[in-house]
Amino acid sequence: MALDAKQKAALFAGAGALRLLLFQAFPSLPNRLAGRVELSTPVSSFKRLQEGLYLYTHNVSPYDGGVYHQAPLLLPLLSLLPSASDHPLATNLLFTVVDLLSAHALGQIADTGRAASTRLFTSSRKSIRWSSAAIVAGYLFSPFTLAACMARSTSALTNLCILTAMAKASQGASTTFLLVLSAASYLSMHPLLLFPPLLALLYDARLDRSKSAPSPLTFTVMHTFGLLVACGALLVASALLTGSWDFLEATYGVRLLLPDLTPNVGLWWYFFIEMFDSFRDFFLGVFWLHVASYTPGLTIRLRTQPLFVAATLTGIFAIFTPYPSVADAALYLSLIPLFRHLFPLMRYTFLASASVLYASFLGPAFYHLWVYAGSGNANFFYAITLVWSLGLSIIVGDSLYAALRDELDVERPELRDKEVKRI
Amino acid sequence: MSQTTPPREPTNMSRSATEARKQPPPESPQSIWLRRAVMASFWAVAVFIGLPIWWKTTAIYRADLPLQDMTAWANAKVCKPVFPLRIAVVDAPLPPHDAHHLLRTTQYALDDLNDFSTHHLRLTLREMPASAPANASQQVVVDGVGEPADDGTVALYVRLIPVETGPTPRSQLQPYSATLDVYYSPNQMPSPSSTSSLLATYIARELHGIYAEERAQLAYLLSRAAGSHAAESSSLSPEVAAQLQRQSARAFKYAPTYHLTFSLFTPTSTPSAWDIEAALRQYMHPILESFASITNFTIDTQVQLYASFSPSIRQPEYDADAKAWTIHKEDLSGFINAAEWPLSPSIGKGPTINFALYIPDRDQSPLFVQGSRDNTWLVPQWGGVMILNPPPDQMASATLTKEALAPAMQAFSTQLNALLGLPQTPASLPLRISTLTRVHTASLIFSASSTLGALAQVYQKMPSIPVPDSVAQSVNQSLTHLQQACDCLRDGRFQAALENARVADGEAEKAFFERSMVGQVYFPDEHKVAVYLPLLGPVAVPLVMAALKEVKSLVAALKGR
Repeated sequence: MALDAKQKAALFAGAGALRLLLFQAFPSLPNRLAGRVELSTPVSSFKRLQEGLYLYTHNVSPYDGGVYHQAPLLLPLLSLLPSASDHPLATNLLFTVVDLLSAHALGQIADTGRAASTRLFTSSRKSIRWSSAAIVAGYLFSPFTLAACMARSTSALTNLCILTAMAKASQGASTTFLLVLSAASYLSMHPLLLFPPLLALLYDARLDRSKSAPSPLTFTVMHTFGLLVACGALLVASALLTGSWDFLEATYGVRLLLPDLTPNVGLWWYFFIEMFDSFRDFFLGVFWLHVASYTPGLTIRLRTQPLFVAATLTGIFAIFTPYPSVADAALYLSLIPLFRHLFPLMRYTFLASASVLYASFLGPAFYHLWVYAGSGNANFFYAITLVWSLGLSIIVGDSLYAALRDELDVERPELRDKEVKRI
Repeated sequence: MSQTTPPREPTNMSRSATEARKQPPPESPQSIWLRRAVMASFWAVAVFIGLPIWWKTTAIYRADLPLQDMTAWANAKVCKPVFPLRIAVVDAPLPPHDAHHLLRTTQYALDDLNDFSTHHLRLTLREMPASAPANASQQVVVDGVGEPADDGTVALYVRLIPVETGPTPRSQLQPYSATLDVYYSPNQMPSPSSTSSLLATYIARELHGIYAEERAQLAYLLSRAAGSHAAESSSLSPEVAAQLQRQSARAFKYAPTYHLTFSLFTPTSTPSAWDIEAALRQYMHPILESFASITNFTIDTQVQLYASFSPSIRQPEYDADAKAWTIHKEDLSGFINAAEWPLSPSIGKGPTINFALYIPDRDQSPLFVQGSRDNTWLVPQWGGVMILNPPPDQMASATLTKEALAPAMQAFSTQLNALLGLPQTPASLPLRISTLTRVHTASLIFSASSTLGALAQVYQKMPSIPVPDSVAQSVNQSLTHLQQACDCLRDGRFQAALENARVADGEAEKAFFERSMVGQVYFPDEHKVAVYLPLLGPVAVPLVMAALKEVKSLVAALKGR
């Protein structure tokens, strides 16, 4: 059920026009949004990117001063554009195009239909689905996506890479998949954890296309090797560009060690403000292991639905990584509609959507109370980030339950629509 | 959770559908293995990555400390500070034989007098024309008067001067050099056969008397220091001990640098200036320079107009008999208006010694402390205060001249001496300062030793505090310098001993108050439960429970076989 070309063109043109209109109609809005902690984290902020660009164009190491924590290769690319403060249109256009490309990739994923039926598993409810136009529209017109796009946070680039990697994996295009996934990992590091489920997805897609696929082992080794080469090439190019390997500490070091405790929608900052210094390193390890431990477990358990695993992992990233932003949640929330067939099995949709809405409205208000009005304190904002994370975790947990239930229905059709109990 | 273990035998597969609905169906071997694989993956992450991270990040680094040495120093087992003072008899216009004889008898007399073995006076003879081989000493003899050649280890020079008139023997201590002039008549020389003589006894008694206060101070210090010395100090009489206690309570703790603040306070607008620089140069600098071998000073001054009394004290009252205003003696402690007068505590490094000069209002002048005409008092470990009533002709002038400041400066220098712990006797300033050097050296050695001992105890009693390498370095430095200080003391090089003791004490303090250690001192093991449990507990419970269940079913399967 591919998108009708006309429909598609209208959708994309509408979304692009809306973005440009917002950029033009409210010239101060992008800067205001770029200053919001919910949208701009130390590792994705557009303002910090500008600082890095300024240093870079003045032949100073962009990491001097400790403000810029993003990938070095972004700088030569963005320095081609005219300055964002004088001619914002070019930058605005770039981020609009990035959003449209992401939506296009999302449309491709929807078109393959691998959300509901894969090589090893076909949902009994696979007829319940939304058209890819609806899913794309859901992404393009989601207020979270819009806000992230207006804030011009570089998470948008990571999201583009992740969505494209998923699309390529669903289509079985090995080389592009490896390149795009290594680009995503290069930009944000944690997308590397998506490799196992997406590799499984790629393998299934390959087998579907040609029955004479290589053995799983050689396939895995080949692709792991390819991923390492691609990542290594990007890192070496960065080192050549900046003239030293210092960028590793300023980019990945910051993500791993959390030296910047600027508040964000995640759970880490408050915890590490309160942490005893001597346990800081240990809990950094614990938190990172917690994020990482989901990948193998979920991939093994839901080997038959790799796309669902990858989508769930993006949800886990949006909750448990050190510097999550609303853009990460936007990615997860726009992947959820791919699994429309699971919606009837989900039990807490109201609770989840209510808490996400609650957090999105009260979050900015409480942040204002804390930082500007001075009539609240850090706990106000932290409580809201807890609610936000709770909402997202309910969606993650509930969709996982639904996926397992769906699997059970295929395994034992006689239990369909019956109450089940875990023993 | 109903614990009905699903039957696993394949024969049960043939049960009827109705029964199967009540009994959970058998798990397929595939799903069992899937579950185990998932669990194993979580456990693998926890065990193979989590445990090493835990081990690595919570390991406490403890540098090796020379605990035995530190404890030995704290127990005063390594170094027994001794103070061998060399006293040179110079310019004796005597034949060598007589001179040696006099020396020997005097030394006997001295040793008889001395009951404090740590402090030992040793007489030597200098400038014996016949026996001295060196040209240098010859030269001094030729010069006759003035300081004899000084290698820094001679504490006191005794000059024997034969006189014909006046009572003999008599002696005079030079106030500004470490020289004792002894006048004697030639017939008082001990006869070669006698083992004692009037002159020898006299010199010995004089010398003993000169160092009486120093001996008392050292004995007092030793008695307060730990352990083995306590027995020796019993010789101190209670009155002397109380006096020393008072003195040491008044004086500042030794510091390599002191900051002096001179402040002028007046309740009105006059005087608004004072010629403090010239006054300091004339009255203060000489005394500060003589302290230069012990400590450094930095100075600042300030003028504070409209400085009012603090509300807690009574206003001055007019005493018609004395034609003067008086303030009550009880109010002196509140005289300094700490809330409003800008007398900041230590600014730079080193403690601040405050000197406050108060010029009363013209309407309340002259102002005296009730019951005395002495208008100065000392605030222990803080500084000195003086109420200065300027002479009537200067009342109106806006500037206090150097001459008007002279009494204040004299009072302040006396107070400074007391605040620095300078002993009151003997009369010679160089001698008093060298006494202070030795006393400070001893107290620094004791303080450094006890700090090291305390650090060793902390190290042993609290195995959970991290000890960085810098602490070990400081401790080693401290021990080295302590040893050097001790050696210098033994050789009588007191200046070098003070330098070393100062470094040793500084390093010991630095090691003891190392920031990263202090933070962990009050972190008992029970707190670790509170740190680990809230987060790791909820994570661990499902992991452990699932593992237990799996193990149980494995055991059951093995038994059933």
